[in-house]
Amino acid sequence: MKITVDRKRCSGCHLCELVCSLFHGGSVNPEKSAIRIKKDDLTTSMNMPILCRQCKEMKCLPGEKAEGEREKKKFIWDKSRAERCPFGALPVFGNKAYHCDLCQEKPQCVKVCTTQAISVR
Amino acid sequence: MPLDRKIAFINLTAEKIKVKPIPVALRKKFLGGRGINMHLLSRHYTPSLDPFSPDNPLIFGAGLLTGCLSFGSRLSITAKSPESGHLGDSNMGGDFGAELVKAGFSHVVISGKSPNPVYIVIQDNQIEIRDAKKLTGLDTLETQKKLRSALKDDKVQIACIGPAGENLVRFAAIRSGMKSSAGRTGMGAVMGSKNVKALAVRGTRDIKLSDPKKYLPYYLATMKSLAGTKWAQALGKYGTPLLFSRANALGILSIRNNQSTSVGDQGYRLAAEALELYSTGMLACFSCPVHCRHRFVIEKGQYQGTRGEGPEYGSIGSLGSKLGNLDLENSMYAIELCNRYGLDTISTGSYIAWAMELYQRGIIDQKVTKRPLVWGDRETITDVIHQIAHRKGFGNILAEGPFAQKVFGAASRDYLMEIKNSPIEMTDERLPKSFALGMATASRGACHMRSRASIDVLGLPEEVLKKLYGGPVSNDLASYTGKGRMVWWHEVLNAVSDSLGICRFLTVFSSPHALQYREFSRLITLATGLDLSPKVLKQIGERICALEKIMLVKDGISREHDTLPKRYFDEPIPEGPARGAFISRNEFDHMLDDYYRLHGWNKNGVPKKNTLKRLGLKT
Repeated sequence: MKITVDRKRCSGCHLCELVCSLFHGGSVNPEKSAIRIKKDDLTTSMNMPILCRQCKEMKCLPGEKAEGEREKKKFIWDKSRAERCPFGALPVFGNKAYHCDLCQEKPQCVKVCTTQAISVR
Repeated sequence: MPLDRKIAFINLTAEKIKVKPIPVALRKKFLGGRGINMHLLSRHYTPSLDPFSPDNPLIFGAGLLTGCLSFGSRLSITAKSPESGHLGDSNMGGDFGAELVKAGFSHVVISGKSPNPVYIVIQDNQIEIRDAKKLTGLDTLETQKKLRSALKDDKVQIACIGPAGENLVRFAAIRSGMKSSAGRTGMGAVMGSKNVKALAVRGTRDIKLSDPKKYLPYYLATMKSLAGTKWAQALGKYGTPLLFSRANALGILSIRNNQSTSVGDQGYRLAAEALELYSTGMLACFSCPVHCRHRFVIEKGQYQGTRGEGPEYGSIGSLGSKLGNLDLENSMYAIELCNRYGLDTISTGSYIAWAMELYQRGIIDQKVTKRPLVWGDRETITDVIHQIAHRKGFGNILAEGPFAQKVFGAASRDYLMEIKNSPIEMTDERLPKSFALGMATASRGACHMRSRASIDVLGLPEEVLKKLYGGPVSNDLASYTGKGRMVWWHEVLNAVSDSLGICRFLTVFSSPHALQYREFSRLITLATGLDLSPKVLKQIGERICALEKIMLVKDGISREHDTLPKRYFDEPIPEGPARGAFISRNEFDHMLDDYYRLHGWNKNGVPKKNTLKRLGLKT
């Protein structure tokens, strides 16, 4: 399973961030979500949802003993892995990185995206 | 929890900041947002309070559910209005309210006056006042860009004023982002009078919910049914401009300062479909599933390079059709000018329309205006906007808003389409009677959003309306029957949604199936743990309306002020689809009686003693 992004459809509502943080952490806090909406709201540029691409070859893990499949199911990662992600898709807050665990195969963010800017493939 | 958020009292004269918790008892009485703002304002409100005095508090208030996973995340800004001289209150979408909440604050009360220009930084429980000399004179977009750069954080949300607010233009707005504005009632001028250029907020705190496990599925189910309604779908595609064609077809637009009410088959020029050519996508406010804001760019022609968000129907109507201007690109440019300068688009268009009619009738001439004021003259419109913002020449007179009649003379009075000293907007209400009454009774002066009772436009079966409103309401928008009830019902509901920070468009507004008390009650309980039944919430709405009325009564506002411009009663619409429509004084009085009775106010519109007792209010 993979979440795909159609950036042209993103309205920048942040609902995906809010749902992600609430589902995983029990509180609403966009800083603690694995999906982020990158937007510059002082220009008319497009918004960009960013989240883990579920790469087959996980460049975020080299040098670690961790097994990819097991790590994929974890939401909170060490922030050192974020630096290795070539897509900048592991958001960091404090000393933690937030990784998209696909909500046990039921991504909550997709449910709340009324424009289908994010969808499951 | 949303209940943990604090209230900050910033006294600029004394340079003191006090942070206090918000008592749960106050939340239970007024929720947040507009409700608590009114409670705070009422403690200072006197008839002699000069809106530009340091004693006039400027109050920012996020709704109780703002910042949560909710339906919009709105913020109310409240003070005594320098435009009307009465109650000032304006409501803003975008991201600012949510960021304030994430920083740990629900309300900010600014009093006093700084000797020098300052901006206020609010970051995770910390508040700091900083020098704003380098921001002076900058427009609202430049101000925000500079501040983000200075604070080295592109997630900082800013509410600021432009030159119009600095120059104390009486209808200056407070603006955030590309478009979000607390536009009506001159809150930007109050901010300017305090020498505050901007509030910059950034928050990273958790918002803990009382019952997160139940909140999420309830939210998702509610959101799904709401987002699927025809109204939400249409709004998400076209935004508010979709209302223009409907208003034009019905004959409820203001054309040339309400001398006419439709532009007939020329309406296509300002319609939503015309705007689509410039749209590059749709945007949403923080936590809103509907995304009703266009993002646009004009790529060629005289206004090449003009870009922004919106424009909204209210702005297109006010700076377009109201001025006899059907050039969409010009009105988009004029709107963007207002946004940049920090001017309310609705008031700006309305005062220019007033001046144009005075010029047309020879009540004012070029000795005053310094130029011909011809309907639809594009250059005049944009030039006058520049002049107003900088208080130059004729603009300096119009910058006084309704008080410009001191210069224009007594004969100008009848052509100022105003209610309680606040100008009527882009519409004409002679045909739709619920709109007409709602305008007349709105607590902040002429305002289509205070009640916005518009469901009768849909022509739904009257049984449906009776069930919704608890009494008979005609489904004919031109009928007076039950419209007092309709306006009362919507005023009360909207006072609640404004206090929760939920957007008007997502509540019972133009769809009877949208959110109202039942959903509000459930969301509040799951988010905060407060058990506020639909019945209790309705009583809170009544309390807020009554408190606003008490302040107006102090100003001497009475039944004769809850009325409409003379033209609405005395001049039937001369042409177009609503030809012949007017307001009968007798029928209007009956509607008003009904409305007062349902609110528990006496024949003069003063809340009765037993009403105040029931609502726990003092006079």
